[in-house]
Amino acid sequence: MIELVVSALVLASMYGLVAIGISLTWSSIGMLNLAQGFVFTAGGYGAFMVVEALHKAGVHDTTTIALAAILSGMAVSALAGLFVGVLAFLPLHDRANFAVRGLIATLAISLLGTQVFMLTFGARNKPLPQLFGLGRLDIFGVTIPFSQLGTIVVAAVLLGAVAVWMRRSRRGLQMRSMMMNPLGANMVGVSVRTTGMTALAISGALSGLASVMLAQTYFVSPSSGMQPLIVGLIVSLAGGLGSIPGTIAAAIIFGFAEALTSRFLAQSMVPFVQFGLVILILLIRPRGLGGVLEDVRE
Amino acid sequence: MTLLDLNEVSAGYGTMRVLHGINFSIRPGERVGLVGLNGHGKTTLISTIVGMTGWQDGSIKFNGKEIGGRRSHGAGRTTPKIVRLGIAIAPQGDAIFPGLSVSDNLDSGAYTPGSWRQRRKRRQDILDIFPPLTRLLRQSAGTLSGGERRMVSVGRALMADADLYLVDEPSLGLAPKISTGLVAALCEIELGDGAMLIAEQNLPLLAGRCDRIVGMHAGEIKDDVGEALGDMPAQGSHND
Repeated sequence: MIELVVSALVLASMYGLVAIGISLTWSSIGMLNLAQGFVFTAGGYGAFMVVEALHKAGVHDTTTIALAAILSGMAVSALAGLFVGVLAFLPLHDRANFAVRGLIATLAISLLGTQVFMLTFGARNKPLPQLFGLGRLDIFGVTIPFSQLGTIVVAAVLLGAVAVWMRRSRRGLQMRSMMMNPLGANMVGVSVRTTGMTALAISGALSGLASVMLAQTYFVSPSSGMQPLIVGLIVSLAGGLGSIPGTIAAAIIFGFAEALTSRFLAQSMVPFVQFGLVILILLIRPRGLGGVLEDVRE
Repeated sequence: MTLLDLNEVSAGYGTMRVLHGINFSIRPGERVGLVGLNGHGKTTLISTIVGMTGWQDGSIKFNGKEIGGRRSHGAGRTTPKIVRLGIAIAPQGDAIFPGLSVSDNLDSGAYTPGSWRQRRKRRQDILDIFPPLTRLLRQSAGTLSGGERRMVSVGRALMADADLYLVDEPSLGLAPKISTGLVAALCEIELGDGAMLIAEQNLPLLAGRCDRIVGMHAGEIKDDVGEALGDMPAQGSHND
């Protein structure tokens, strides 16, 4: 039972991190970033390279390596996010049909990115070290690996920080005002370009974290961003674009749905349940669970 | 010494020319009323100052810095930069953020770093000007009445630490009693070295409250207000 809850929460943290990134970008600048999977994978490879370099340099302190892996993963993904912004957002955002053009441009980056990773790193999976050690925690007779607990805690802390930042800070208000009324935001001095690049960098960093965490169990491979992208899209839609609490709630729902399905039905049933669930949620609440974006953005 | 100086400014949308070679300036500390009938270019003039029209031509100097020039595309691209130089706008109707609370809406007006640090004090000043907003601070702005929305929109502009406040049709669509109160409040604000331009269809609302009133007629500035209002000088006077 506890094992089930923990694995559901691990999935939820993963999906939450990716989905909030997608949701932020989509709701603030109206760009559906299909290159989020590329950004995700870039962080994994970034962390892999840094860890390799540290090993070569003779650093074996596990804490240093873990910190370096997390920070480099986030930094590389944030940079990848900015790279997507420079290619697909800055040149296109005030052209006609930006929504469609942005979609195509980010899809192109995503496809190209996968091939570039394949050429550079090869098709073989790359491992990342266990960041939180191999230990296990004993709760009521059930042992939970540190890697899972660490993932949940780090994701929760980071998502909490982003939520508070959105509520309290000047940049957060900038982001929220852009979601509500881009024209009004323009008139109080908020620039679409700065907001867009900020959103892309932040969603990048969150995906990078998710990528490093996921690599604990699934390795890094050229296309390892695909699955998180798809589920991230579903979760951000179900959570209601632009709503952090809604997205977190949706991530938890989808985490439990996946954990329960693979435990009691079959792993192969997971996509059916996911898509069924998103259809159900959108039928009942067309704007998603959080639904902050009313009829503001068409 | 002028704060804002427009020299031969034309502007419009697509093939339509709305403003025809406007020459106009505002000095620091001045409160200027801009009156004219609907569709004669008041809103376009305000939009042109902050670079939001489809195209524009001619020099616009703000504090000696050129913010105009010739431009045929990219409407709104320079707006944030111009606003951050110290021009605050309360647009026609409003452009508030419906899903955000009233206090967030007001704070967003203090977006420039200098005003952001003093936002609590500034917000208090706004509440002194518009007391009805005090009890609405936590409420979502999308649920407000028309008059309250307008207060939020104007209040948001006043939150900025700007040198020039552009207020477009503060009375539009409001009940006479509310619009009179709103315009009176606007006209009582201490400007110091700042200046304010109020565009308004309803001359009696501004008469006697502004330092200077100019007219706008068919895309041109008329110093004779009567000429701008044509045959309907008392248009809307029933609002008194």
